[in-house]
Amino acid sequence: MRTTRRSFIKVSALAGGGLMMAISVPGSAALNRLLKEGESQLNNFLSIDTAGNIIFTLTKHEMGQGSGTGLPMILADELGADWSKISLVRSAYDPKFTSREMGTTGGSSTIDKMWDILRTAGATAREMLKQTAANRWNANTDDLVVDNGVITNPSTDESYTFGELASEAATLDVPDNPPLKEPKDYKYIGQSIKNLITPEVVSGKANYGINVDIDDMVHASIERCPVYKGRLVGFDDSEAREVAGVIDVIAVPQMTGVIEEHHVQAGVAVIARNTWSAIKARKKLRINWDNGDTTDQNLNDLAARMEQKALETEKPVFEKGDYASLKNQDGVEVFQAIYDNPYQAHALMEPINATAHYKADQCEVWVGTQSGERVNNEVVKLTGLSVDQIKINVFNSGGSFGRRFYADSAMEAVYLSMQVQKPVKVTWTREDEIAHDYFHPYQKSIFEAVISEEKKVVGWHSSISRTEGYHSGSQPWEIPYHFENIRTYFEQEPSIVHVGAWRSVAEHSSSLGRESFIDELALKLGQNPLDLRLALLDQPLNRIGTDSFADRVYNYQSLLQSRYLEVLQTVKEKSWYQSAQEPEKGVGLAVENFGRTVCAHVVELTMNNNTYNGFVIDKVRSVVHCGTVVNPHFGRGQIEGSIIFALSALQYGGVEVERGRVMRSNFHDNRLVRIDEVPDMEVHFVPSNDPPNGLGEPGTPPLAPAVLNALYAASGVRVRKIPVLKEDLVREPQAV
Amino acid sequence: MASFQLQVNGRQHTVDVDADTPLLWVLRDELKLNGTKYGCGIAQCGACTVHIDGMPIRACCFPIGKLAGKNVTTIEGLSVHDDHPVQLAWQEIDVPQCGYCQTGQIMTAAALLDRNPDPSDECILRAMKGNLCRCGTYPRIKNAIKEAAQTKMS
Ligand code: FES
Ligand code: FES
Repeated sequence: MRTTRRSFIKVSALAGGGLMMAISVPGSAALNRLLKEGESQLNNFLSIDTAGNIIFTLTKHEMGQGSGTGLPMILADELGADWSKISLVRSAYDPKFTSREMGTTGGSSTIDKMWDILRTAGATAREMLKQTAANRWNANTDDLVVDNGVITNPSTDESYTFGELASEAATLDVPDNPPLKEPKDYKYIGQSIKNLITPEVVSGKANYGINVDIDDMVHASIERCPVYKGRLVGFDDSEAREVAGVIDVIAVPQMTGVIEEHHVQAGVAVIARNTWSAIKARKKLRINWDNGDTTDQNLNDLAARMEQKALETEKPVFEKGDYASLKNQDGVEVFQAIYDNPYQAHALMEPINATAHYKADQCEVWVGTQSGERVNNEVVKLTGLSVDQIKINVFNSGGSFGRRFYADSAMEAVYLSMQVQKPVKVTWTREDEIAHDYFHPYQKSIFEAVISEEKKVVGWHSSISRTEGYHSGSQPWEIPYHFENIRTYFEQEPSIVHVGAWRSVAEHSSSLGRESFIDELALKLGQNPLDLRLALLDQPLNRIGTDSFADRVYNYQSLLQSRYLEVLQTVKEKSWYQSAQEPEKGVGLAVENFGRTVCAHVVELTMNNNTYNGFVIDKVRSVVHCGTVVNPHFGRGQIEGSIIFALSALQYGGVEVERGRVMRSNFHDNRLVRIDEVPDMEVHFVPSNDPPNGLGEPGTPPLAPAVLNALYAASGVRVRKIPVLKEDLVREPQAV
Repeated sequence: MASFQLQVNGRQHTVDVDADTPLLWVLRDELKLNGTKYGCGIAQCGACTVHIDGMPIRACCFPIGKLAGKNVTTIEGLSVHDDHPVQLAWQEIDVPQCGYCQTGQIMTAAALLDRNPDPSDECILRAMKGNLCRCGTYPRIKNAIKEAAQTKMS
């Protein structure tokens, strides 16, 4: 076995001939620790057999964002591989692949985090193959050409395929710092290569967790307590047990995981020989719940409490300058607005499910998950087994949007399998999925600005209150705009439903207020909202200190600043943001960053009282800066998908809660945008050779504020909430 | 429970289930034809779309007891080599993101093109609006149907 000095890449012989590459990510000790236990512990990240077949192990979750194609594209490009020779193996959860880079999938970080790893892995293997050919020909590696899985010596026209070189290459030393391709030499990166899952999807053979079928498996459907964290008192299952196909009825206790976020609601499970019998029998259960304190909670009360909290908050989490005294100066004007971001449901297409088989000394789980590691940790806790007695098989997901970050359904399946000593598949109904979702947190945002006598914004205040239980790590004071005086408050209020990660997390909530308020300010000052944004962005950045942390912050902020400016300047150059010339039409703009990706949307809409919401969105044009676009077809798809996702929240979203109960249950009352409601969409990526940043989430946050701004332009009505309903758009009667 | 005969993708099957069992769960649990998906169970999403005597039907709301004498086609039986014009167009346009809704979309689209080989945009939207796609692949679905219509015509 050969290794690099940093022990990042290990190359060894592939059983049966060829080359096998294992990798460990610096900063995660998992693999290095395991390596000490011998070669057999290596992970097989990449292998090339003697026929030139390349197998890439996908450690990241595929849930519709394209990781299973985008990642191998990066590897294949650097390797110089023939794309048709690449195939994928989906890794089960494996401690040899854990780390932020490889164990979990989320935060639109997959491409971002894997870019260096994949390129280095590809370049290393390529250089070893090249060296092998050079040795055989007694040539210099610099003179050789690698393309399409073949290494050629142009001076002699001799060539070898990767397969012919792989076994011997595996015996060479692993090079440190292999050269990486220049962007002009990319072959696959930047191309709209087709999704590797498409053929299996169109044939109906694509596999999802919900399809799992294990010998002797039984099916479970769980009636859960309708009120968050309510408890089971007792139940009468006599009628349910009479339904044909029913095997057993079992109480499921409320469970909290290793991570408090993993909450399993108390319930009663019907175990049956097929899904339908379980669903049918469940309706015949008579259950006595102790609904607990949340049972007298309505959404309106929560909203009022949260607004109060945001208004009365006393201790800022961030302060710059002296907002308080500024506000009390003579002659200044203080302007305030309050924005409302309700809970949102995921409504992912494949309902939540998991299958588990517990035996005395083993437990196997089959589930679509963004974090096999989280599932594994919960199974350890539930069963008391050790990691090597547990196998977590990970499936592609039919959508996730943050929901499959959580291990709750796997916990249910494992618990039930322990009770019945058989493989158990738990399938949530759509009604379960909506009522017991891990909802996007509720947020109230108060924005306030101090305007000087010279009609300049001199102070910026925001006060945010959010329901407790999920925090994405983004900080409410991080804004791209420059103000002399800033004051930020952040408060939390206990939630009345479970909360979790939802596509674009806190950015979705914060963007609505910030990007609406900037527009409101611009109009108040008689300025063009695009120009005001540009002016507030284009200011010198201040360093927060002199250490390396301060450097990192500075670099990050400068990158964002330049991307915001480039994106908005592109909007300007394209003349996309021009006020509508016709009555009842309006144009609105908003811009937001999610991580390093910056996205602006320009929305055009028409007021129309004959529609459900009172308006029709005609067009959305987007400018996105995400560095290199690895696959433009996927990139556009993610932005279009994010727009449609955000439109569902804007037109039909929110989740009503009364007496602690979620008042929605299925797609008839938790409506989603359908094909006949989709606006024209045009996506422009700012050309860039920077390393790629994510695209799964950044298109979501700026959509709602862009629509609210366009609505104001069209109707003169300022709406500060979503969903936008017809009654929100009632206009003041015109004076005659 | 009772015994039911059904004809799926040209083959005769016998299943032992309750008469009210939706065709969807017979296909998935009994016949192991997992291409037909569960999404809502109340005819709101189209993920479970199959053809019954050529018509696009929501299998989640069609009880097995009412199926006697009818022919069912699922995605697995739409073509022998996954080369129905709609399947080919779906690959050409590369429609799927997560892919979960797509078999239902394809079955609805195939039935549309059977009835109307050259549908207008409006016809496409009307026919497809019963099929949800949470990933938002709608623009590509529309393009793929146009593409399929073209190949079918030529
Ligand atoms: S599952 Fe049948 S329409 Fe949704
Ligand atoms: S492709 Fe994911 S729901 Fe349609």
